[in-house]
This record gives sequence, structure tokens and C-alpha cells, in this order.
Amino acid sequence: MKRITRSVLAVLAGTLFTAPALAQSADDVINQTFYPYKAGAPTAAGVNVGVVIDKNNADQFKVVLDPVTYDLLKKGVQPSIKVGPTDSFDVHPKYVEATRQNIGKVKIVGGNLEGYSAGRPFPELPSSSDADAGRKLAFNFRHTFSAGDNVQIKPFYWKYRNAATGKVDRTVEFQFNFLNFKHRVAEQPIPAVSPNPNDYFRGIYGKAFSPQDVQDTQLMILGFDQDQKASDGYLYLGFQRRVRRLETSQTTDAFLGSDLMIQDFEGYFGRVAEMNWKFKGTKTLLMPLYRHNEQKLSDEYKQPDGYKFVAMTGKGECFPDVTWQLRQVHELEMTPVDKSSPVGRRVMYIDSQTFVAPRTLIYDRAGKLWKSWTIGHTSTEHHLPSNKGKFAAIYDSFGMFDVQNQRCTTGQFRTEIDGSKSPVRMFNPQFMRSGGA
Amino acid sequence: MRIAGKALGSLAMGLCAWGLALHGKTVQAGELGAWRINGFLENDTRVRQDVGLSKERNTLRLEADREFDDLGAFTGNSLTLKLRGTYDGVYDLNSKEYGRDAGGPICLEDTSGLIPAGCVAHGRGAFGGNNLQYGVFNGVPGAGLGQFGFNLANNPNDGMIVLGEPLHRPGGGVAFGVPVRPCDVDSRGCLGGYMDGSENDLRFPEFADADRLDWLREAYFDSSLLFSSPLNGEEQELFFRVGKQQVIWGRTDLFRVLDVINPVDYSRNNIYDELQDIRIPMWIATAEYRMGPVAALQDLNWQVVWNFDKFRPNSLGQCGTANVILDAGCFFRGMKNLWDNGGTVSNFALVPPILGQPGMAMTTDFGPNQVGIREVKLPNWTLSNTQIGTKFEGVLGDVSFSLNGLLYRSQLPSLHGGSEGPPAISPFANLLLPVDLQLPELLPGVGQYNTVPRQVPYLIAFDIAFPRVKMLGGSLDFTIAPIKTVARIEAAMTWGEQFPNTLRPSLYSESRVARYVVGLDRLTFIPFLNADRTFLFSLQIFGQHLLDHELEQGRLGQVGMPDWKDNWTATLFMQTWYLQDRLQPKLVMARDWKAGAYAVQPSVDYLLSQNLKLSIGANVKFGDGAQKFNDCRDCNPYPPFTAYASSGGPLLEAGPIGLTGFEPLGRFRQGPLGSSDKEDEVFITLGYQFF
Repeated sequence: MKRITRSVLAVLAGTLFTAPALAQSADDVINQTFYPYKAGAPTAAGVNVGVVIDKNNADQFKVVLDPVTYDLLKKGVQPSIKVGPTDSFDVHPKYVEATRQNIGKVKIVGGNLEGYSAGRPFPELPSSSDADAGRKLAFNFRHTFSAGDNVQIKPFYWKYRNAATGKVDRTVEFQFNFLNFKHRVAEQPIPAVSPNPNDYFRGIYGKAFSPQDVQDTQLMILGFDQDQKASDGYLYLGFQRRVRRLETSQTTDAFLGSDLMIQDFEGYFGRVAEMNWKFKGTKTLLMPLYRHNEQKLSDEYKQPDGYKFVAMTGKGECFPDVTWQLRQVHELEMTPVDKSSPVGRRVMYIDSQTFVAPRTLIYDRAGKLWKSWTIGHTSTEHHLPSNKGKFAAIYDSFGMFDVQNQRCTTGQFRTEIDGSKSPVRMFNPQFMRSGGA
Repeated sequence: MRIAGKALGSLAMGLCAWGLALHGKTVQAGELGAWRINGFLENDTRVRQDVGLSKERNTLRLEADREFDDLGAFTGNSLTLKLRGTYDGVYDLNSKEYGRDAGGPICLEDTSGLIPAGCVAHGRGAFGGNNLQYGVFNGVPGAGLGQFGFNLANNPNDGMIVLGEPLHRPGGGVAFGVPVRPCDVDSRGCLGGYMDGSENDLRFPEFADADRLDWLREAYFDSSLLFSSPLNGEEQELFFRVGKQQVIWGRTDLFRVLDVINPVDYSRNNIYDELQDIRIPMWIATAEYRMGPVAALQDLNWQVVWNFDKFRPNSLGQCGTANVILDAGCFFRGMKNLWDNGGTVSNFALVPPILGQPGMAMTTDFGPNQVGIREVKLPNWTLSNTQIGTKFEGVLGDVSFSLNGLLYRSQLPSLHGGSEGPPAISPFANLLLPVDLQLPELLPGVGQYNTVPRQVPYLIAFDIAFPRVKMLGGSLDFTIAPIKTVARIEAAMTWGEQFPNTLRPSLYSESRVARYVVGLDRLTFIPFLNADRTFLFSLQIFGQHLLDHELEQGRLGQVGMPDWKDNWTATLFMQTWYLQDRLQPKLVMARDWKAGAYAVQPSVDYLLSQNLKLSIGANVKFGDGAQKFNDCRDCNPYPPFTAYASSGGPLLEAGPIGLTGFEPLGRFRQGPLGSSDKEDEVFITLGYQFF
């Protein structure tokens, strides 16, 4: 009798979980999540391509600005935003297809995904009535295709700036590489790197080339497929020539003196389990997504292939000088599980089509705005020739503005999706020991 | 005045250079064709208590690397070059302490009660024939007794310090004069090929040995061969690095449990510089089979290391320089001088009890080839003298590990004395004695004491050797999640290391040694001190256990091995970062448990600009200071003349009864911290990246 009751409950539970999917056809789900602008780009009164929003007319566009961007514009800290055309950032068709195959099969069990193979785990539009909507969006973000299956950012220039004086205190040259061990869709090996005894999901490798005090520092973080398991981390210090294991729950330290914490990488670089997630609604806002090749680019750091980096603008040159476009975004509020975190909460705006996070607002434990985090994304179709056809919204520029301390760190990327430049052998401590990249 | 003039000139030049640096443009690594090039300048100025300037080191570093196209199946090809040149101005700016004007005439303690002043000048000891205050113990005036005494013209009383200065006074123990001037100024006591630096060699250490090319600090070629695994078809890699390089094993800082492939230059800044700056690069070939994931292992690598360079010991520092770890360089130089030229040794020969109190000892003049160090036996280059090691390193679950094995030569010297030491002349040779004394050294039927040099059990006459050592060890690290701490553990066992041992006729013995380090690292927010950045706390405990330790209680004290059977050293490193990491306060604390010795080094690094870094700090030592151990004056190598019978020692039998003194073996109890107890200093370091 007990067994029968359990079975019935299990069926009922399964029905409840899959009910939204059953309510819509797979095509509807796919179209809503990956092609939201098929019927036309979002519009807002007066938000036309070429319009420049600054402190004089910000009030008029308040409804399409996140509150911090609005405030920075009003104060003239961020001088202006130029509106660009809303593009469909088409996601790789194999990722889309993997999502289609997965519809209705994925559940969150014990804080981990169950039944997930690849693509977007929860492609259905989020619902305010779903208590777990925030966490589902977080998993979608975790499994976004923003960096493809693997990506290299090289060179990658970070500038630590005094926003008040405009003085560049430090310039650090990095290289970063990302690799998905699992849930790969576009580049071999598909669907996973094998063997993978530790069941890693994703690896990030970084190396600093200059200046002297951080030269040859290498960082590697290997995230497990099971979100509940804390990542492995390794640090190689050039002056020690030794790989040290990192305790990865401490991700709220200023990374190499910048205004970024490891937690800030890619919008949010932590486990889903480390935050309480709350879905606050879907909005149409201006976001720093753009066509790289059509931006005003910097002549600094000339590259052999003629590639140019995004320029910076505004107070202290703290903001990427790029166009913003109207996007459908999901607003997520995140509060740390660890009460000792210096972060009180984060508000992240996730682009509904690509699930990248172009804007994040970071508040301290007292609830005061601490940092304004902007990551500029471009489509691979408007970037390096070698990126064409990779169909990802790749990282292209960033500005982390510390409102309280009037400092910022800016980043200029040369991002390339190329599996041969992020080989699997790069993602183990031995690679770091021999000097790394 | 001359020094002041030089100092001002140097200071002015320095200020000009740094002024340029401060106002220079921000520079990044340079590109020259396909080469990536960095250039660095560093000035390290240190002032030591009671000494004055102890270091004015100016270092130029050039580093270059470039990648090459694939060569057939070989990929990832690159060449790395690291050049370094140093000029230490202390030998010009403070030559009275370190250089051609260092040292002077000395007076050596005498506890015999026969010398009213309580000390005698070098060359005026008992039995040497040059000090009538000793009465009958002066020997024949001008000639001395037997083979005692030496020629002051060959070993004048100048340019010397008393062994152990400034850490301790002789304290009733042995001491002797140690020449301290550079070896081109004063060649006494210099050990060829080991501690024989001229003034220019000390000023420009990277150019001291033309054969070693120390200015070419590193020069190695990297290459990888990628192939498919025969087992599973997965991509695997053979990685090669060949050239002059540092090979670093292990997971701990400061302590060298597994990190023993390269010798270390302690003369640069004792134990306080980063190891990468003081490891002595060697010509080494490494091959690494990077298997990647294997069965349950996420990563597995097998490395073979062949150090095919000519053997090189640790650089312990030449006497007369600022950093002489354990003061070993001074002991060696003084002993070498004793062997070559003879010399005066404090408080050595006992006053017969009938004339004084037991324990009263006369400062004694020895002749050449009687006591001391004859030579250093550096292994030649032969294939069998090259060193080879292997390491398995991998990741299993949440644990990273390594297993290491190495066949190598000890980089620390071992003193082979007594029955295995050099043949020595007896100071009593040629004495005519009654034949009915039945002494073993009396020539039969003649009554003349043996004149033939021979190896004498327990005699403090030594050669320096570097024994072969086998090491097996391993390391691991893992996270202790509940306390957000990373643990690092390293352990090794060696076979073949040698230690001083006054119980053995050769005055040394082998012991198996177990060493281990446990390290804990934790990043911790202390919001009221630093709201943005954590503090790094790194605690390490290093332990050493001698499995074949020998120590006995003699009549007067302990005899045997001065090294502790078990000892521990703890270090605590704390650091945080302010102003976007431009300001970095640091604190290092260390305690040598058994020695009761402490070191504290607070410092602050400040990045004045992208390319200019300033470090200011102090290094303070305190604790129990000098330690005593059996010094083998009581070893009675020439019975009955050297017997400590009045203290209960055997008349005709050799071997110690436990008479102690600071020298020479107390240093092994003091350790590096206790031995540098009087070397407190402040420092300022400027580092500039110009390219």
C-alpha cells in the first residue's frame, strides 16, 4: 500500500514539475527563450537607435534604465549612453537543439540538477508564482553559452583607476581561458571531456603577465558538475614558483587588488548554492550589448592582426564606450548564504535570450550600493573573423565602478572561441607548475 | 672620511637613478621581435645593529622568453633566459666590517689563571715559546715544546676576529682567530673552490666563478610531444625542459623537505630571501609524462629529473661577509687556517691540577697540520656523481599529492675527522720520553714520540665531504572545508646524511632523518582592519627527527650528536593588502623550539608606481642565543698528554667525557635563528621594472 502511495505521489510530482512544459509546445518554448525578437525588437517611447541619453534627458528614459545606471547618468558620472539597434544574439543551433531535447526533463534535486544533459536547463519563461524561479534562472545562467564550450581571452588588459582623478594606478595584462568539461554542444569533444574522474563541469585558467609584482601569477578554478560541491582552486605565485591549493569558498576578496572579486567574474562566479535567489520580474531595459566592430575603438595596445579594443569613457574613464540596446532581461536578487560575506545582496540583470549578465548591482551588508558592474557583450558575428559562426554573446569589455570608494577597474578583451587555444591539458595544476601559458 | 665620501657618492647616484625611475613612464614587458623581455633593477640596503651598513646590494635582472613554431611533432617550444648581475657596495662602503679593512688583532680568552689579563694575543699561547707568562708551559723560548707553536709571519695577528663573535664570548670554551678579509687580500683559511672569494667575487657574486656562469641564472628550452595514449586513445603529453633551471618539489614555503634538487645560496640574505632568488640553478634535464586523467585520478604525471651539472654545495657564506649561516663559514675558515698555518686556541690545554683548579685551561699554540680542516673534497664531474630523481604527482578526488625519490649529494658539508680525517702531525712529536712509559706512539726502543703524520681517532682534524644521500618522500594538500582552510603536508626520509658525533672516533656518523612540514593557510576577513581584503594567515610547523641519533651523558655533560633528536620550527606569516594591493603589510614570525630562538620580520611593501616598489622592514631575533655542547677538548686523542684525568677522564683511553663550550658544536643546537641572534637589522629595498 505504501509503495502504491509513493508511486502515485511520484507521478503527481512529476506531472506538476513538467506541467509548464506540457502547457506549451517545444517550439513555443524554444522560440520564447532563444528568439524573443522574432516578432520584432522591443520598443520604448523615444528609445530609438542613435538617441543619446545623458543627465539632461535621463528622466525621460528612466523606465528603460536600471536604477544605478539612471543615477550615474543623472550625476554625470557616466556621461551618456548611446542607443544601438537591438540585435538578435542568436545562440548556437546545437545548444538550442540540446535545449529542445531536454525540455521538461530537468529537475533540481538536493540543490543539483537531475536529468540535465546540455543546453538551457529551464528554457520556460520564469513565473513569479514559481518559488524556485530564481534558482532555475541561476542554473540557466550557470549553463549559458556565453563563452562557447571553450574560450580564450588574450590579451586581456585590466586598468585600476582612480575615478576621482582619472589616474591609472595599475595596468595588469592577463590571459584567461575557459573550458566546459561537460554539457558541450558545439566543439569536440562532445558531449564531454573524457575521462573526467572528478566530474568537473567547468574550468577557468588565468595568468598575469605584468606588472612585476603579479607577474606569472596563475589562477585556476575547477567547478564540479554537482553544484553542491565546492570548487577546486589553485594559485601559482611567480615569486614562489609553487602551486598552492586555494580555499574557494572565499571569493569575496579583491582579486589582485582590483575592484573585482572572484565572485564577480562573468557576472557571478560562484555556486548557485552560495546564494538565495529571487526572481524579481522580466523587464525591457537598455543593456551594454553591441556590435564590437561598429564601436568607437581604442588605438591603445595595437595587435598584429589589427584587432582593436573597446575604448573607455566617463568619470575616470570607468565605463566602456559602447552602445546599449533594448533587451528583455530577468531581474534576479541574490543574497549570500554566508552571513559573513561583505556583500549584502546582488541584483543581476540577465539577458533572456543569451543568459549573459551585462549588469549587476552590488550592495554592502548595510544595504548601501557598493559597486556597479557592467560587462559589455558582443555577438561573435560582429567580432574577430575567426569567431564568425560561433554564435555566442562573448565578453568584450567591462567596468567595475566602486561607488563608495570612487575607484574602478576596467577590462578590455580580445575574446576568441577556439578549442585549440584552451586545450584540456591546460586545466590541471601540472600545467601551472611548468610556467603555464 | 673616505668611507663617508664613497657613501655620499653612491647615495647621490642612487637618488638620481630612482628619481628618473619615479618620473619615468609606465612600462610594460617589452617586445623585441618575437622575444618578450623584462628588465628589473633592485637596490637592497640593510643596516645592522652595532655593525652599520651590512648590505648595499644592487641587482640587475633581465628576463627574456620567446616561443617557436612547432618542430615536427614537438609543440609548445620556447626558450627562457634569465640573467642576473649583482654589485654589493658594502665591501666599499663599510670595508672595516666587510672587506679589505675588516678584522684586526685579537686577544684570545685564557682561563688558566696564569695570564693576569685573562687573554693572550694570537701567537702568544702556551707551549708556543712566545709567552713567558706561562712559565714552564711556554716551552723553550722562541721554539716552544715539541711541535707546538707556529710562525707568526705566516699567520699574523691581524685581519681577524675571534670565532663566535659577535654572538658570544668564548665563555671558557675553545675559540681561535678567524681571518675575515677577502681571499685576494688575505688568503689564510680560504677553502679552494668552496669559500675562496676575492673582494671582487664578493662584490659581484654572479661573476665570481667563470666556469659556473652564475650571471646566466636560467637558460632552458621547453618542448612538448603530444600523442595518443596507447591505452585509451586520449591525448597525452611528454613535456621536456632542458637547461639551467630550478626544479621545485614540494608544497611548503621556506623549509626544504622535498625542495632539495637545487642547492641554495644562503650568503645572499640568510634564509630570508624568496627561495626562487637564492636557489642556485643547475644544468638539469626534466622529462614529464603528463598522462592526464587515469582511472580514479583526475591527473597523473611522472617526472624524471637528471641533474647532470657538476656538483655544487649550498653557499653558506664566506667568513667576513654579512650572511654566514650558522657561522659555519667562519668556523671553516678558522679551522683551515689552523691546519695550514697553526694558530692559537683558547682555553685548550689543561693546567695540571697541582698548579690550578680543575677546568682551568691554557690558551694553546698549535703548529700546522695538527688540528683544523685540511681540504674540501668537492665531487668531480663523473656520470656516477650526477643526481637523478623521480616524482609522481597527481590529483585524487579532493587531494593533490606527490611521491618523490631522489639520489643526490648532500648540499651541506660533513666533517670527517679523527680516524677518518687527514693524517695529522702530533704536537707532541719528537718529544723524547722514557721508553718504559709503554705509550702506543713511542717509537720502539728510541723513546721518541711518533713523528709520522697519521689519522688519530677523536682528533679535531678534518676534511670536508659531501656524502651521497637517498631521499623518499611525498606531499599532499587538501581543503578542510568546515574551517575554510587549506592544509599542506610534506614529509621525507633520507638515508646517508651525516652529522657531527663526538662519540665516534671519526667525529661523525650517519643517521636516517625524517622531516615533515604541516602547513595551514587561511584567508580571513578582519573587517575593522581591512574591509576590502582578507588577511592571509599561513602557519607552518617543520619537524625533524634523527632516527639514528646518539647522545649519552658523560661525566661532565652530554656527548654524541649535537643536533637535536627531535626539533620543531614554527613559522607564522600574515599579510594583507590595501590601496588596490599597492600597500602590503607583512609579518613573519619564526620560532626554533629547542633552540629557544625567535625571529620576527615586519615589513611593508608599497608600489610607488606601476614599476617602482618600495619595501621597508626590520628583522629582529631574540631568545636563548648561543648554546653549548661537548667540544672534544676532552677527547684525549694523544693520551696521556691530552687526558682530562683531573676531571675524571681516562688517562690512556681516547673519547670525550662531556666538556662543553659554545664552539664549535653549539651552532647545531642554536640553529640558523639562534646563530644570527646578534644580526638584527633594518632594510629598505627599491625595485624598478624598466622594461
